[in-house]
Formats: sequence, C-alpha cells, structure tokens
Amino acid sequence: MRKARLPGFALAIPAWVWLATFFIAPVAVVFYYSFGYKPGLFGTHATDRLSLDRYVEVLTPTFFETFVATMWIALAGTALCLVIGGPVAYWMAVKAPPSWRGLLLALVLVPFWTNFLVRTIGWQVILAPEGWMSQAAQAIGLPAFDILYTRTAVLLGVVYNYLPLMILPLFVAFDRVGEPLREASRDLGANRLRTFWRVTLPLAQPGIVVGMLLVYIPLMGDYITATVLGGAKGNMVGQMVAAQFQTAQNWALGSAMAVTLVIVIVLSAAVVGGLCWLGTWPLRRANRVVLDAPEEVTA
Amino acid sequence: MTRFADAAVTTDSPEVGAVALRGVTKRYAEHTAVDSLDLDIRPGEFISLLGPSGCGKTTTLRMIAGFEHPDEGDILISGRSVLGTPPYRRDVNTVFQAYALFPHMTVAENVAYGLQQKRVPKPELRERVAAALDMVRMRGFADRKPTQLSGGQQQRVALARALVNRPAVLLLDEPLGALDRQLREEMQLELKLLQSQLGITFVFVTHDQDEALSTSDRIAVMRDGRIEQLADADTIYAKPASAYVAAFVGQQNFFDGVVSPDGSGVDTERALLRPATPLAGLAAGEAARAAVRPEFIELSVDRPEGNVNVAAGDVIGVSHLGEMLQFLVQLDERTAVLSRRPAPDAPSLAVGDRVWASWRADAVQVFPAGDAAARSGYVPPPTVQP
Amino acid sequence: MPANDDVRILASRASTPLVRRELSRRGFLAFAAGTGTTMFLAACTTPGGAPAPAATGGALENALSIYTWGDYDAPEVLEGFTADLGPRITLDSYGSNEEMIAKLVAAKGTSGYDIIVPTGVFIPQLIENGLLYKLNRDLIPNIEHVDEAYLGRVWDPDNEYSICKAWGTTGFVYDKTVITRELKTWSDFLDAAKNEASGRTAVLDDPVEITGIYYWANGIDWDTTDPAEIDAAEKYLLEELAPHIAAFDSYPGGAAIPQATHVLMQAWNGDARIGIMESPDPDRWQWVLGSPATELWMDNWAISASAPHPEAAHAFLNYVLDPEWAIAQIDYIGYHTGAKNIEAMAREAGLELLDMVFFTPEQLATMQDGEINEAQARNVEIWNKIKAAAGA
Repeated sequence: MRKARLPGFALAIPAWVWLATFFIAPVAVVFYYSFGYKPGLFGTHATDRLSLDRYVEVLTPTFFETFVATMWIALAGTALCLVIGGPVAYWMAVKAPPSWRGLLLALVLVPFWTNFLVRTIGWQVILAPEGWMSQAAQAIGLPAFDILYTRTAVLLGVVYNYLPLMILPLFVAFDRVGEPLREASRDLGANRLRTFWRVTLPLAQPGIVVGMLLVYIPLMGDYITATVLGGAKGNMVGQMVAAQFQTAQNWALGSAMAVTLVIVIVLSAAVVGGLCWLGTWPLRRANRVVLDAPEEVTA
Repeated sequence: MTRFADAAVTTDSPEVGAVALRGVTKRYAEHTAVDSLDLDIRPGEFISLLGPSGCGKTTTLRMIAGFEHPDEGDILISGRSVLGTPPYRRDVNTVFQAYALFPHMTVAENVAYGLQQKRVPKPELRERVAAALDMVRMRGFADRKPTQLSGGQQQRVALARALVNRPAVLLLDEPLGALDRQLREEMQLELKLLQSQLGITFVFVTHDQDEALSTSDRIAVMRDGRIEQLADADTIYAKPASAYVAAFVGQQNFFDGVVSPDGSGVDTERALLRPATPLAGLAAGEAARAAVRPEFIELSVDRPEGNVNVAAGDVIGVSHLGEMLQFLVQLDERTAVLSRRPAPDAPSLAVGDRVWASWRADAVQVFPAGDAAARSGYVPPPTVQP
Repeated sequence: MPANDDVRILASRASTPLVRRELSRRGFLAFAAGTGTTMFLAACTTPGGAPAPAATGGALENALSIYTWGDYDAPEVLEGFTADLGPRITLDSYGSNEEMIAKLVAAKGTSGYDIIVPTGVFIPQLIENGLLYKLNRDLIPNIEHVDEAYLGRVWDPDNEYSICKAWGTTGFVYDKTVITRELKTWSDFLDAAKNEASGRTAVLDDPVEITGIYYWANGIDWDTTDPAEIDAAEKYLLEELAPHIAAFDSYPGGAAIPQATHVLMQAWNGDARIGIMESPDPDRWQWVLGSPATELWMDNWAISASAPHPEAAHAFLNYVLDPEWAIAQIDYIGYHTGAKNIEAMAREAGLELLDMVFFTPEQLATMQDGEINEAQARNVEIWNKIKAAAGA
C-alpha cells in the first residue's frame, strides 16, 4: 500500500505565496506606476498612457545630490557597524563562555524591544545641547556637548539602530565555523591570527555579506534615524520618495524614484561586492594550490 | 605480571618522536579526566590509547596536541617539555575524529595548508602535496572540495594533510569511527603499513579493541583517567593485568567464587577452576574471579576426565562466525559460558544438547574479585559509545 | 480606549511627556509618513460600496468608530459620550491626511470608520471623490455654539460636510538669550536666520510652510500659482535661507524648544505653546505670530460617506460641540476649537499662554487659508532642493 505523499516543494508553498503576495506584487505595482503620470490635482496616478518621462524627472541634480548624501551615510553606517559589530560577534561566538550566549544574544536584542522611533527620539533627548550628555560633560568640566544635527549624530543613531542586524548574522557565521576547524588550523601550524584570516573569515564570509546587506539596504531607505538626529544634515533620498507619495500625491514620480532607488541599491551592492572580490583576489591566488596533472589517476 | 613491565625499558636519551607524560593530571569542574598519568611513548611506535568514553584517552591526546593544558605534571615531546607551547609550534599533527577538513579549500589546498604555514617554497610544496596525496591514493581528487568526497576519502585526505608536515608524532583521535566496518578494517591495515613505512610515532585513540589489537605495537588500556595496563597486544590479550582489562579486550567467561582451601584455584558452585601457575597474593577463602576466553572452552558430549576445569550445561545457542562456530552453554539460570571452536573440528551439537565444557589449566586466569562486573559467566565487552 | 494607551513608552519619567508628545496629536505626521503602505494597495480604485443609510435622528447604533489624529480628543469627552448616550467608541489614528484618504479609498467604502477629521485643504478632494457624508444639520443643533468666524470656510462654504474641530496658525519662536533684538515679522525671521541664528534655525517640515515664509514676508498670495513668483521664492529660499537651516522639524515643541536645540524655530502655535510650557526656562522663549500675513489651518469634523453608524456619528458631533466640553478639549489639545466665547472661558479656567491660542480680529484678518493647487508639485520640488542644499 502506498501512502500519498506531498511533493518536496509543498513545504515552500506558503513562503512563495507570501512572497508573491506581499513582496513581488507591490513591487510590480510600483514598477508599473512608475511609467504612468499624475492625472490632475486630486489624482495620484494614472496608467492609461505609459512613458519613461517620470524617470527623466527623477534624474535631477537634487535627487543625485540627496542620493550621494544618503549613500555616504549608508556606506559609512554599514562600515561602522561592521567594524564595531564584527569583533563583538566574534567574541560572542568564539571566546565567550557558551553559557553566556543566551544572555549576550538577549542583550544584543534589547534595543528591539522598544519602538524604533521612540529609541531614536531617545537619542535626540540625550544628545540635545541641554540634554544629559551635555550636562554630564559640563559637570566634569568639559565643553558643552553639541553633536545633535550633525552627521556624527546620524552615524551614532545608525550604529545604535542597526548594530544588532550586523551582529546576529555575523554571530551565526562565526559560530558555524566551529571549534574543530580552528583547532585543525592551529594544529597545522597557523597561529590565531592566521587561523582567523584563512579559516574563520573565509567561512564566515556569507554571514558578513548578509550582515552588510541587512544594514546597507534598509539604511538606504531609512530617513527617520537620519532626520531625527541629523536634522538638515540627515537629508535622505527615502524622504524624497515619501514626499512624492504623500505630500505631492504623485505616485507615478514616487514610484519612478523608488524603482531608481532599488536599481541603484542593487548596483551599488554589486559594485562593493565586486570590489571586495577583486581586492582579495591576490590573496586567494597566493593560497591557491594547483597540482600538475598526475601521470596516472589512481583512485 | 607487572603492570608497566614494558615501560621500564624506555630509553632515557630523548629522541625525535618520543612522547613522555609525567604525572599529568587534568581536572574539569566536576571530575578528574586524567589522573596523574605516566606514559612513555617510544619513537616510531604505534601506540593505542584504548578505553570506553570518559576514560580520559581523548583528553590525553588533546594535551599532547596542545588544545588542553594539564593542571599538574609535564609533557615532553622529543625530549623537550611542551608546557606553554601552543599547538601551532608543536611538532605533532592530528587526524581529527570528524576529519575537520576545511570546506572552502580543495583537497590539495587542505593538504598544502600546513606547508603554507611553514612557508615552504611553492615548487617543493606542490611536490610534497602531490606525494602525500599519492601516498593515500587521493591524487586524482586534488581539485575536489571535501564535501564531494566519501567518508573514507575524507579520512585519507585528513591523513595526508597531517602527514605531509612530517611531524615527529601523529595523533589520531578515533579516526576510523565514522567509517563502515569493511572500510575501517582496510584503513586499519593501511594505517599500520603507512606507520611502518614512515617510522613516525602514532598515538591512536580508540574505543574499539579490534582496532587497537590489529594496529598497535603497544596498547594502553585506560580507565577513569589512569592507565590500567600498558603492553603489546599479545600480552594484553593473553595476560590481562586486571579483570577490567580482561573484560574490555576480547570476550571473557568469568567465574566468581572463592580461593580454594589449598590456594590452587577458584571454586564456584558450578566448577572448580585451577590455573597452571599458583595464585599470587590471594589467600584461601578470599573472593576471586577466574576468567577463561571462549576460544579455550572445549565442548564434548562425554564427560572429560578429572573434576577440575570442567562444567556441565545445556546448549542454548549455536551461531556461525565464518571460520568459527560459537556455542552458548547454560550452566544454571544465572550462568552461561561462550565457547568458540574452529569450524572444521567443532563438535556437532544442537540447541538442547547436554554437554560438558572443559578447558586447559593454562587458559585460566585469576583476578581479585575487585570491582569489575558482578555477573558470572560470559561477560560481553563493555558497551561503548563512540 | 483612548489612543494614548496604545503607545507604551519605555523611557525615563522625565522624558515621557516629550516622547509622548512627539508621538501624539499631529506629531506623528512627519515620521509616520513613510508607513502608509496601504497606499500601494489603493491602486486605481474609486470608492463604491453601499452608501451609508441616511441619518434621520432615529435610535443610535451601539457603536461608533472614530478615525482621527493621534491623541486629539480629551478622554473625558469620549468617555462622557459613551456614558451619556451609549455607543461604544473605537478609536483609530492616522499621521497624515494622505494616509487617511488612502485608507478610505483603498477600503472602497468598507473602512468601517464613521468620523474622520480631515484638514480643510483636503476637503475638496474628499468631496470630489465622494468620501464625505452630507451632514444632516438638523441633528447637530450645537453647531450654533461654533463661532461664525470658523464656519463657512472656502473649502466647504456652507458647512455641508464639515464643522471646525480645531485650528491653528504659524509663527516662530526665538531664544531671547541669543537673539537680543525684537523680531516681529517674517522678514525679521529671515534676517535673524541669516545672522544670529545661522545654523541654528529650524523650519517646519512642510513644503507650503517653507515657501509661505517668503510669500508672507513679501506680501505675495500664499496660494499663488504664478510661475514667476514661485521661481523667485525658490531662488531666494535656496540661496538665502537654505544654508542657515539646521533642521526641518514640524514639532519643535516636542523636544527642540524644551531642549533648547535651536535658537530660531518656525512653529505652529499650539506646538510652540507646549514647547514653551515644557521648557525649564520658559522666559527665555519669545513667540511671534507670523506677520504681515500667515496661515490658518483647520481640522474639521466630518462623517465618512460609508459610515456604518450615521446616527451615532451625528450624535457625537452634536455632543462634542456642546460648550460643556470646550475647556476640556482646548486644555487637552492646546488649539482653538472654534467654540464661541471660548477665550473668556479659558481665561476664567486659568489656562496658560493664551495669547498663543487666541488672536485678535486684526491678527485673524492676516491669516490665509491654504489650498491644494497646481503649484503643489513645484512646492515639493523646492522643498526637496532646500533640503538637499541645507544638508550639503
């Protein structure tokens, strides 16, 4: 008697349906709208005439300038999260006693227990010229602390809000490399540093890429952190897109901006990835071992 | 029977490949994993650390490799203390239990890894990697990734990766544990052959007595962080130093009883056991345990002469082990003995037959009652978990 | 349940009022703007669905659903309505008119909301799209308690669809310890921004408020669609004002005034009043109503065209306009509700800083209604350019 069995992909169906309904469909709608136009004062979009005109409207110096500023913050924020989160994740996965892990992971996630906006505004209160950080600085004789509405404040907020997104995949990646491989490396004559570069880091690479994308991509679209803490210095392209949808009620132009943004995010991530790949190429080449063809294959 | 009879021969002059442990103790929070262990391993020797899990054999190996540090005592490799020397500066290499091959490197790159750390020039490196892969018959797989290899192939790569560095000592941590039986037996032979060709000291950790017996020059049987007996395979098998060793290595029929009034053997309810040599250090009336290996138990339908070294029972099981036939004979409700006879001249017996089991005096070994398994008769080897 | 209970705030007690204010009333506008995902689904639908049954003064339904700005009504008013008349109130909040409109459009008449509170300039759009219920004025006799000055506005001249809920205006606040001269007009504002307050000036994060500064200062119609005037505004704001702007902040009263983050801030009157009241040193701040002209924005009670509970909705409008609640409402939200004689009642009740809530008839005459017109796209473009220039 044969039992009826579900095909193997059945388990993935809910995920695909979810993805198709809530990700692909809205993106497709945005993509479609981006070829339309704003029909009148009280209309948001129309698609009876399709054209690339909105894309021409997108490519203004203002968009470009704002885009560069956004990318600067996103790249610097990603780099900072990597530089700060990398060692923390490594320590958690490799050095810290295993019994601490649950607690450490919980601590990493603590900021997520609070509303994103509230914790960002919390920083605004802390960093204000008469906020407690400034008062504390003055109390110990330092000059008043005034970094609110600067890019420093933006990056501070970015690191605070996005660090867990970097630490978690890195932790998993470092953890998955496992002690046995590190021991094997040291057994074969590599010290801790060499072991890190040749074994831990290459094997953790997918996790590092995931962590960087998890920070970089939402950061390109986030304008709340930047505006709350950076004021005029935190002008982000996401805000321009939102302004078209909301204030200007021009969904066609907003869609074109959103599509442009997506394209550039993908391109910039690809360029950074490509540069990293090229940059490490000499190293990989140096470690490559190709034997001469054996006279006879014995296997 | 002296426990460390062979150890006494150890040379005092340090030689490359010698390993010495002096009063080494390793404690963890709750228990002592290795308890003031002394062990001298000769250069070029194939030595096995044999014992059930938790006996301290792997901890001992890891201390030699440098992954664990002894709380007390000293470890010398090639005559020099290695306390405080990190693993990457010890002249030893390890074949790990799960191989620990680097998944992001090819077979050739895995094998080359150790040489790259020593900054061996590229031409020489390629030559040595090729030679090492030839040695384990894996040359044709040089460009594969470890995930594309079978367990046995990964095992051989792990071996090549360690041996290519020409270490003074090769440490093997249950290297055959993950292989199926046939492959394991092949690899045992291969390991033995390699070791005798290379002349490198092999320290082999295993829980499998067959593996230890078939490969090793000497075996250290470990128990609770101590060495119970250190000797060559024949001695361990024929003259186990304790009931524990006797039970762990090979199969045994145990008879629990008391030392006979004249002190010549052990009397039990079912049989009087008389060894060839007089008992040493056991007084009349003292509880004692006698052991006879299954291959020394003969079976006959007719009653043999004499009333010592003989017992009556019923055949309750017959099984074929290739060239051997194995019989299980029940003496009483609680006692059975195992007999193994070469197939050609085995008696033709069937389940239910009434038989006499007998054995020669020189097959009898007597131990203090001690602490080993309390059950009489056939005692299977301790259950082992890898 | 009042909306303010929906937001749990994990912060020190001292900062709680600040944070709460930031999340409340109209405070959510700027930040929540990005969250209107429902807009994508709104697609190209026009409202259909069954029209609401006519309200004739029959028995009240047992429920009422209000969709309004966060924290925009005194809880005792809502509780009083349920206690006195029965219908249980469900409260939901939005952060922008666009968000509210998008939701109504997307729901195609199934939103289930009875009462909405759109800002005046959006009312023509709502009417045009058939989203508003024509009020049965017979059921709202308490409209007589609304000051005529706040009825019959340009977007709904006969109050067929809407009744004033609250209104406010725009001015600015400056730090007297830094700017020691007296500022009185938008021209003074611009001058101070370029001098004493350079790099420490904040403007409202709204396109028409920023262009408004220029138009109001120069006697130009705020609702102008003349390209030459718009170009001039862009040129001036981009070249003269943008380099001095530190932040675009629609709610300086939330944090910037209490924390003394800037020295010169464009602000709405109610928000500025809260900021000064929260400040540890209120005397340091000076409020100035924009002049010679400024805006008048008004949020309005209205009923959704698809209201499932029209009788209860009318009853609520009538209830909330009762003079009994005028002080409770004005005290809670800090904006003029349009009720008659409210100023005298407020003075009697001892509310603070009332010159930031009530204005003289002369001042009222200088306030202009906004309008959504063809200049909108240009205004947004100018706004983006100023932001890019200020952020550079």
